[in-house]
Amino acid sequence: MVWLSGGMFAIACLMILSLLAFVLWQGLWTLWPRTYSIYGRKDGTLVGGELYARASLDGKNTLYLRTGNYDVSNQHFAYVASSDLVGQTPWLAEDLWLVERKEWGNLYGFPKQLSWAQAAPEDFVRLVDQGMRETAKIDRELADAKNELKRIDHQIADARLGIRRVELAEKVDLQGAAETGLVEGLSPSARRAISNFVLRNGQADETMVELNDRIARIEAHRAERTVVFELPVIDPLGTISADWPELQAGRLTDPTELAELLGAIPNPSGLALSVQAMVQDSPSADSPSVDSLGDQRLMCSVTIPGEASRRLMLRRLEDGRTSVGAFREHSILLADMVRFFPTNRLGILQRLGVYASRWWEFLSGDPREAGMEGGFFPAIWGTVVMTIVMSLAVMPFGVLAALYMREYAKSGWLLSVIRISINNLAGVPSIVYGVFGLSFFCYIVGGYIDGGPIKAGFEPWPSAAWFSALGVLAIVGLIAFAVSIFSGQAEAKRSGMRTVLRWSAGLLWLLTLGLIVWLLIRSPHFHGFYEAQLPNPTFGKGCLLWAALTLSLLTLPVVIVATEEALSAVPNSLREGSYACGAGKWQTIHRIVLPYARPGIITGFILAMARGAGEVAPMMLVGAIPLATELPLDTEFPFLHGSRSFMHLGFQIYSLGFQSQNSEAAKPMVFTATLLLLSIVTILNQTAIWLRASLRKRFQTSQF
Amino acid sequence: MNRLKAIADGQTFESVIHQEVLDCEPVVSIRDFSLYYHRKQALYNITMPVVKGMVTALVGPSGCGKSTLLRSVNRMNDLIESVRIEGDMVLNGESIFAPSVDVIGLRKRMGMVFQKPNPFPMSIFENVVYPLRIDGERDKTILMQVCEQSLRGAALWEEVKDRLKESGLSLSGGQQQRLCIARAIASDPEVLLLDEPCSALDPIATGKIEDLIDRLRGEYSILIVTHNMQQASRISDHTAFMYLGRLVEMAETSTIFTRPRLSETEDYVTGRFG
Repeated sequence: MVWLSGGMFAIACLMILSLLAFVLWQGLWTLWPRTYSIYGRKDGTLVGGELYARASLDGKNTLYLRTGNYDVSNQHFAYVASSDLVGQTPWLAEDLWLVERKEWGNLYGFPKQLSWAQAAPEDFVRLVDQGMRETAKIDRELADAKNELKRIDHQIADARLGIRRVELAEKVDLQGAAETGLVEGLSPSARRAISNFVLRNGQADETMVELNDRIARIEAHRAERTVVFELPVIDPLGTISADWPELQAGRLTDPTELAELLGAIPNPSGLALSVQAMVQDSPSADSPSVDSLGDQRLMCSVTIPGEASRRLMLRRLEDGRTSVGAFREHSILLADMVRFFPTNRLGILQRLGVYASRWWEFLSGDPREAGMEGGFFPAIWGTVVMTIVMSLAVMPFGVLAALYMREYAKSGWLLSVIRISINNLAGVPSIVYGVFGLSFFCYIVGGYIDGGPIKAGFEPWPSAAWFSALGVLAIVGLIAFAVSIFSGQAEAKRSGMRTVLRWSAGLLWLLTLGLIVWLLIRSPHFHGFYEAQLPNPTFGKGCLLWAALTLSLLTLPVVIVATEEALSAVPNSLREGSYACGAGKWQTIHRIVLPYARPGIITGFILAMARGAGEVAPMMLVGAIPLATELPLDTEFPFLHGSRSFMHLGFQIYSLGFQSQNSEAAKPMVFTATLLLLSIVTILNQTAIWLRASLRKRFQTSQF
Repeated sequence: MNRLKAIADGQTFESVIHQEVLDCEPVVSIRDFSLYYHRKQALYNITMPVVKGMVTALVGPSGCGKSTLLRSVNRMNDLIESVRIEGDMVLNGESIFAPSVDVIGLRKRMGMVFQKPNPFPMSIFENVVYPLRIDGERDKTILMQVCEQSLRGAALWEEVKDRLKESGLSLSGGQQQRLCIARAIASDPEVLLLDEPCSALDPIATGKIEDLIDRLRGEYSILIVTHNMQQASRISDHTAFMYLGRLVEMAETSTIFTRPRLSETEDYVTGRFG
């Protein structure tokens, strides 16, 4: 038996450890800058990439390469069979740059030319660095201008909403008046709204022209500077006849043939070849080794008088001639560059620096490329804000409910049923909560807030009927009030009369509550707070508020159960001691019981937060979106925007991994996001454990 | 022994209370008091006084209702559902069980100490002044004064005066129990109820508590429940012997232990049964 149980234990440990190790490895490794290897294919082309994995596909050894250069090759990743390669050792080109871009993902290539400066390749790093700092300034200007544009748009939309409100309130059509600006015969509020709109429109027209000009100028300025790269993609130019050993030694016996291939070159005799070292170990290039791509190929650069030198690949063909291929030139905007570094030349410290800066961008930056690149800050922020709002909603709710159940309610079958139901509620699949949240919060409550009963799907009553129902409500409420007062005063403590009175008071209050809800959803006089915005929903869709409320429903059982346990762990002797001192019920609860139960309550609360933060299924339905342009909590009044959709880490993992156009390319990010989410949840749980331990210590009784 | 059998059979029974007890001025008079848990009767028509300024001990075998009686005096039994009472008790001339009585105000006039020390999870200072805190007292000087007075009264001041801010739970068991006594006397109660205060303590701590009870005699009226015959004989002025929910005999302690009127009492106090 010990073997069986021990074996099961070992398997469980192994599974947990391997899961953790897998996520840790994948997540931590993703952002590490790797070397870029270039291999020669047997068909004469080149393939290069960061080596992500070696795998065996269909019995063939395969390399899994991150090729980058998506705009040229149309792929981010490629599987390459080892048998297709001429050599197994890659060429780690020294002067190859990795460029992270705002669009199209990474570019790997050899910098050739800067559009704004004639410079030797040694100066490229400095110049590009400097140039990027300058373009960052341009980008800030551009963002400012665009924000300004957005602000004006908002103002006009607001003014338009003002007109719409007046239209709804006064049941008039102001479209014509708004267009012409004629306000004769209209009410004062309509005049105000229209003149406001006309004023805003007039202002906007001027500023917008000016702004658009400015934006166009900045965009043009932004597009001025380009960098030309030579990518490790070979375009065949043609063949020349040349002596191979001569070429290997870097001597060009007859330059005219090559010059013809390269295009019209006035002075072919000036052409000079320099063969490049292809193995990292011999950076001096004194004795170029060509092992890596097979001895039938040469990488060289050809110096053309009056032009920048070009990279060529020479390949010896079977008929003795030599095929010439050129590295494809590709020009990108300097302003599109985010980060660049010569990836094969970095020392370990520089690599660490790049790694740290990538992590920093991941944690604090905005997403690029639909979330596949760049930062996760909006997702982290959305998760955190949503979790905090959820805790604010669930905390008082859960603790008060548990307090009532444990301290006030009489134990009986009803309480047991309720307790069991709450425990069962914790086991309901979370997607059910999502569906409930969507249909109840988003459509009914949100619809009601947006557009009143009709939008929420209820038929309002005629006015007269509604007001008579209101009268009934008032009467029922008064009766309920009277009965509860009377039952409180009733003499003869244990008489049956008193019980009957208490029950009927409770039922009457319930009836009152039901009537209030009923009247609210049948009101003919309420048209919602956001009627003017319709048909665009404000709260009638998935948003932060409803997501938080749905999750608080989901975590409510956790909080209630934990709080109840914490309360029942308070020794009765403490309660008795407090009562014996003459304390009332509430004094005992808030001075003795709650402080003593606090560690348990806080633990339950943090566990609920951890559960809520990691929940994805309901989020998909009630408010998380893959890419949000606005944060749910920002510096704009009123700071917390409950009606905004938001990004969520867990949902991001799902949407990146399974819903994005290029989930292959997004895979590394998925692992990193998983790692982040796991660490957040772990940190929360760990805090709970630590908090419980440290608070428990305070209440430890010294034994005698 | 036949009287005890008669009690066990549920026959009516007349308690014997010596005249010397009835002659003293009572602080609490229990009058024909019965108590039921559900249908089960726990106390049967108990009538007895608790004498002012003296220590009255309740003795009897386990389950005889001593603690129930004690907890009825400050209506702690109200906290248990399904308890029903008949009869009444009177505290300094005012009824305890009349419907109009404010239970909380009533409890403030009494102090109670439990079997197991139950200091609150707060500082020693806050433990002692808890009864004042719940009355909303905020004046530091008054609180400090009461704290010192009560701790001195409970013979704990010298031991804890330098660490009033420490948790009451950091004290030893005997100190904790004295802390609870300090808390009980902080509101200057009219009667002090002690429910086997020494049963969870070692002999030395017990000795200290007994000394303390001895010192409190005269200043406070004390009703104490105890199993321990020696303790009852050492510290009490009057002793009431209870059996199966009835009061059997009550007299001055020396009388109960030396020449009780009933042979059953003698049998019990000499350890022949129970």
